[in-house]
Amino acid sequence: MNSVEYYSPTSLKEALNLLAAYGEEASILNGGTDLIVRMREGQSKPKVIVDIKKIDELHKIEIEDNYVFIGACVHLNDLGKHQYIIEKYPFLAKAALSIGSNQVRNRATCIGNICNASPLADTATPLLSLNADVHIYSENGLRTVPLNQFFVFVRKTILKQDEIVTGISFEDDDSILGVFYKMSRRKEVDLSTVCSTVIKSNKGYFVSYGAVAPTPVRLYKTESFLNENTLSQETIKEACMIASQEVSPISDIRATEKYRREIVEVTLQNSLLEWL
Amino acid sequence: MKYVGKSVKRVDGIKKVTGSLKYVDDIKLSKMLYAAVKRSPYAHANIVNINIERAKALKGVKDIITGDLFTKRAGLYLEDKNFLAVGKARYNGEAVAAVCAETEEIAQEAVNLIEVEYEVLPAVTNAKDGMKKNAPLVHPDLGDYKCAPVFFPEPGTNISNHYKQRKGDAPKAFEEAYYVIENTFYVPHVQHVPIEPHTAIAQMDADGCLTVWSSCQSPYAVRQSLSVAFDIPLNKLRVISPAVGGGFGSKAGTTLEGIIIPLAMRLRGRPIKLTYTREDEFQNAYVRQGLHSKIKTAVNKEGKITAVQNEFIWDGGAYTEYGVNIAKAAGYASTGPYDIDNVWTDSYCVYTNHPVGGPYRGFGMCEIHFCIEQNLDIVAEEIGLTPYEIRKINGMKPGGTTGTGELVTQSGLMECLEQVSADIKINEKSKLSSSKKVRGKGIACGWKSPSMPNDAGSSAIIKLNEDGTAHLLVSAQDIGQGSDTVMTQIAAEVLSISPDKITIRTGDTDCTPYEWQTVASRITYSAGRAVYEACQDAKSQLLELSQIKLGIYERDLKLKDGYVVSKIYPDKKIAIADLALGLTFDDGSGIHGPIIGRGSFIPPNIRNADKHTGLGEHPVAYWTYGVQGVEVEVDIETGETKVLKVASCFDVGKVINPQLIEGQVEGAILQGMGTALLEELMLKDGKVMNPSFVDYKIPTSGDIPEMIIKFVENPEETGPFGARGVAEPAMVPTAPAIANAIYDATGIRLNTMPMTAEKILSAIKAKEI
Repeated sequence: MNSVEYYSPTSLKEALNLLAAYGEEASILNGGTDLIVRMREGQSKPKVIVDIKKIDELHKIEIEDNYVFIGACVHLNDLGKHQYIIEKYPFLAKAALSIGSNQVRNRATCIGNICNASPLADTATPLLSLNADVHIYSENGLRTVPLNQFFVFVRKTILKQDEIVTGISFEDDDSILGVFYKMSRRKEVDLSTVCSTVIKSNKGYFVSYGAVAPTPVRLYKTESFLNENTLSQETIKEACMIASQEVSPISDIRATEKYRREIVEVTLQNSLLEWL
Repeated sequence: MKYVGKSVKRVDGIKKVTGSLKYVDDIKLSKMLYAAVKRSPYAHANIVNINIERAKALKGVKDIITGDLFTKRAGLYLEDKNFLAVGKARYNGEAVAAVCAETEEIAQEAVNLIEVEYEVLPAVTNAKDGMKKNAPLVHPDLGDYKCAPVFFPEPGTNISNHYKQRKGDAPKAFEEAYYVIENTFYVPHVQHVPIEPHTAIAQMDADGCLTVWSSCQSPYAVRQSLSVAFDIPLNKLRVISPAVGGGFGSKAGTTLEGIIIPLAMRLRGRPIKLTYTREDEFQNAYVRQGLHSKIKTAVNKEGKITAVQNEFIWDGGAYTEYGVNIAKAAGYASTGPYDIDNVWTDSYCVYTNHPVGGPYRGFGMCEIHFCIEQNLDIVAEEIGLTPYEIRKINGMKPGGTTGTGELVTQSGLMECLEQVSADIKINEKSKLSSSKKVRGKGIACGWKSPSMPNDAGSSAIIKLNEDGTAHLLVSAQDIGQGSDTVMTQIAAEVLSISPDKITIRTGDTDCTPYEWQTVASRITYSAGRAVYEACQDAKSQLLELSQIKLGIYERDLKLKDGYVVSKIYPDKKIAIADLALGLTFDDGSGIHGPIIGRGSFIPPNIRNADKHTGLGEHPVAYWTYGVQGVEVEVDIETGETKVLKVASCFDVGKVINPQLIEGQVEGAILQGMGTALLEELMLKDGKVMNPSFVDYKIPTSGDIPEMIIKFVENPEETGPFGARGVAEPAMVPTAPAIANAIYDATGIRLNTMPMTAEKILSAIKAKEI
């Protein structure tokens, strides 16, 4: 019989000890909306589950010292309905509220969405474009890694077995304007066929896409082009061409490669048109 | 009328909304065992060897069966199926062995330990290929199968039924036509996705009595099929369907019951439960058949259709015990609701190595109308008529004849067409909403008759209680459509007692009387009529006793609010409660005894159509006609379609419960939208590629458009209070109306569904070039 040992530590230290003790056999349980599904399908077979939801410090959204910090256990609904986030980063709120159903968003977390490292993670593109940092805690203390270096491949991150992501942060910048797009077969409760966040700030343009490569990606070539040129109908058109070539989508059950490239063009164009 | 025609609250409402209603999977019996199924990973393969030794050795495993233990075939119309594969597997997912064990987990683990050796065979994965001469045969023994005489299998081929309709002289009409046009369409497989998956429990007593608890639409039809398959007499086989969490046709026949019954027969006394997962539901229950169709139309100068030639090729899947009748029903209805003098139709049900096709809301009508109604718009445009005009010219009116040659005496189609055209403003162009989004309107008509054996019967029993309340017993199943409430309303109306004084009991073949099946949109009509008759029977007994008691002629008595009352002197009355157990005299003696009303009904005079021509004077009970109009908005940059508004009007004879019928139509529209825009069972070499809600999408509440729902009431004389069925018909025009609206908006016609954003965008881009 399959049996699973379940632990619910109340401190980070305790959680780390459990992860260290059980190594590969342990899985972190946060909202569970990915893990439980994967366990049912036999894709994950943990022997030990370390539920981090009882660690109080992981539940906060902080806005301090010019930084916004989202704790590991902040639910998508809490993020998407957070007043400060709605006002200053509506594209991030929109991304958070675009995932799953209301019920799922009451359980699922933004950090879980990131750590799951799906190529189409909806909260990844706003955070990539925000140049967010991932806060990783281990026995050696805290380290931060830029989100664009966090993803390795489909469902693979740089995270080691004995590490816990405590949250994600980004600079609180008044000049940021952003647009989030999610193209999906159905309006509610669906995975992205393509998702994107385009940000314009004092520092330039930041363009990120999901479901167009093995991981959510920044489109650096497209960004450079935009940063080097003045926005116009012509440059938007050219930027869209560059972006559609910069991505590397595949054909799957949800859409063909061709359609994904077309949607990259349309969504980038419509994002940039906001500022023309 | 006091109760009929009123929005009486659902009698099952409180139990359903509080979650207290017990479904089959909620039933826990002592010493219950759980089953799990070993399934074929191949679409078509000989079973060379099955090794169950390792599985058998697992602790907690009680029994394992394979197909060779029970080789008798079963089926509703054509006995072509085994519940466990015998000799070979005919679809990816077919059951080849079943385990029962102390827990579901042990059963599943044991299944993984069963080793099956296969010899893979070439598979039929396209019905058109399956009709070719050299195609692999899915059922080489088709010629030996038992079959109802109205179906025509062609042994030595994959064709399990070939229905022909030959009305008038179509070849001549085509020669003389002013204009001839031919179009082809394809409708892929979809699944019913009831909220409750299939589930059943079987238990055989020591004396050989078998009880089956099953989430099924048709306890009696299930009992009959199982009785034949397992040689159990009907008096020793009890089927109970306590509640059904949606069916849409998928729970009409037998599916998983036959897998657990052999186990129950071998382990007497032990109840055995099997509940399907959502993945099972998509692969191993029933699916809607695919359809390849070709329609050729001849038109005269005035836009009158003078002839049609139809070819319907149904992808029936591995077993077509039920699907053969879909091919026949589609043949009967092949003209659509139009009056056409010359018809040449061939409708083929073809075996493939795909999941098993079966009844699905519409029973073939949604599929053929997707083709017929688009074809009609194409014809109209070619000859310079509007979609409204061509329907006005050709739509069925009283005095016309159907494809089977039956004279039509009742049709509200024209009234529906006028109503919907007005509600959707079909003759006014949609306004542009932006340069990137275009809008368009479309209409479609539809018709459907109940597809059932000519003698499909219903019965009902009403028992009066000594306090003036009553129990109504039927085996019509409330599968969400509201039949418990409608049956109760009909009884309440006839007996003139309020619905809350009537308790309805359904779904137990030992206790509730015969009902052929809860399918074919026939329950309000047929079971409703049986309830009406049962209550009339009880009423006549009440009047007979009242005549004695009150000394007033029966003809001068009526039922009113729980009393038998004189029509002339209203103060002369006697309570129904006082007569429920019979009439008691002053000396304490009594007569008659408890009042039980019984009602039976078979639609009158339905006769088989001619074998060669498919023609018949009265081969179906009636036709339900209706029209829907749709307005859509298409994003020309992404191809996304949004349904903005749907107007619907059906001739239902009589609305028994306005709120429930509206709910039926709303649900039908949403389901029609789902198939039009989102749903497709994606099949690759016979394997279902999207067997879950992750990649099989149905509409959510977020997709609901504005809906204008209206009805016309031209009574059906054989129905209760004039009612006829509408639950399925209401879905029939939705998908083609959406397709026609998309064409109006974009000039794009895909000839297939679902009309996904990607397909539309690709067509828009192709058109630009």
